[in-house]
Amino acid sequence: MDKTLSLFQLCDSNFPTGAFSHSFGLESYIQDGAVYDEVTFSKWLEVYLHEQLVYSDGLAASLVYEALEANNLEKIWELDRKITVQNLARETREGSARMGERMVTIAETLYEAPILTLYKKRIKGKQSFGNPAIVFTMVGHFLQVPKETTLLYYLYSTIASLVQNAVRAIPLGQTVGQKIIYTFQSELTRAVKSITNLSEDEFGIVSPGLELSQMQHERLNIRIFMS
Amino acid sequence: MSNWTGILELDAEARQGRTVTKNLFFQGAFKIMRPVYLNQSSQPCYYILNPGGGYLDGDTYRMSVSLDKDAKLTLTTQSATKVYKTPIKPAYQETEIYLKEGSYLEYLPDPLIAYKDARYFQKNVVRMEKGATFLYADILTPGWSPEGKHFSYDSLRLLNEIYLEDELVVYDNIRLCPKEKHINDLGFMEGYSHLGSFILIGDRTDTKLLDQLYEIINQETADFKAGLSKLAVPGISIRVMANRTQVIERIFMECHRIVSQEWFHVKPSFLRKY
Repeated sequence: MDKTLSLFQLCDSNFPTGAFSHSFGLESYIQDGAVYDEVTFSKWLEVYLHEQLVYSDGLAASLVYEALEANNLEKIWELDRKITVQNLARETREGSARMGERMVTIAETLYEAPILTLYKKRIKGKQSFGNPAIVFTMVGHFLQVPKETTLLYYLYSTIASLVQNAVRAIPLGQTVGQKIIYTFQSELTRAVKSITNLSEDEFGIVSPGLELSQMQHERLNIRIFMS
Repeated sequence: MSNWTGILELDAEARQGRTVTKNLFFQGAFKIMRPVYLNQSSQPCYYILNPGGGYLDGDTYRMSVSLDKDAKLTLTTQSATKVYKTPIKPAYQETEIYLKEGSYLEYLPDPLIAYKDARYFQKNVVRMEKGATFLYADILTPGWSPEGKHFSYDSLRLLNEIYLEDELVVYDNIRLCPKEKHINDLGFMEGYSHLGSFILIGDRTDTKLLDQLYEIINQETADFKAGLSKLAVPGISIRVMANRTQVIERIFMECHRIVSQEWFHVKPSFLRKY
């Protein structure tokens, strides 16, 4: 079986992790009028990718991959905790944990990777929180997909589902959405490059505006997303 | 002799319902004044002084504070911490805080002012036992620059690590590099110049408190943007962006007042400084 193709299944925006119900603060910007079209959304997406995702999910994925190589499971559980508690906005923190749990449950039935079974058990037993970037990396590593490719695919899947959400929420045309994803390829490559150059003490660096918008989301009156 | 520019150790304990100094040591460019019991309170307030007047190139500061069971104290500074240009090595400050069961630390330093070409790294590590309470606030402000423009500092990095019963429960990593990033853009400081952070950890955190804080914050009429949320353990974090120190100070003072009233049934004293 094609291993990269197997990992590709996780990138499908129909893969039921619940990503379609999380905007990670985008909805706050849509409601206060800062994001309203292709240009303003692309700007948000760029900042979200390079100023939050890279330091959180991206760096976590990279470090988890290395920990799997070294068979250092304690390091993975530590990163699971760290990525959860660095997320100060409750909705995005709980949303990521829930997505991680759903993803590990489905992934475990697809791939016979003992690490997935272990992670799932820890999440059920409240020893770990769960995180989609960690699950995705476990699958990528299990399928022997190289680290950089695993990172790239993970970022792609996150960006693609955010674009789908923006298409519904702003709204944007479907073609515009596809155009944004296509244009974003170079940004994704650039993001992978910066992740591999990060040191661990840069973990969880946040950009104030993004974080604030994620906190403010819980007080929006009308909302179509859970974060 | 230590190599630190300033070093400070403060241990306090509760004795017959009153918190007193158990051990105090300071050396170099850190000083601490005799504790003040404001308004006959049993909770002392300690003022940290920086006799050097500011943090300079390569300066290193180390502080350690520990509170024994049920000890309660307020720790603040006597004036703003000023960081000047650091051409060779960033200024650095590390603080370790140990809070035993039932203790309460309010750590409310004055704003940090970062001047032109300043680089600063601050690391706070807090280790709490179950049943301890911690309240912390900081405000980052850009200092005046000869060109009159905001954000002339190089970088500010503030890391807060909070452990509860030896488990990491908050990891707050802020880094502002105005010269590398489009600091005024969406997602960054969005046109504001000052950033305030407020962290509260305590068993009694509930949704009612979050609502009360939310309400009081929104009574502020000046231009600001704020977000607040519950932490992964009972506790709340608040972030505020504004254009003036006083706005953030006012907001945090009100939040502090609510916590003091709701949890300790006291009205906090005004921290007289000037």
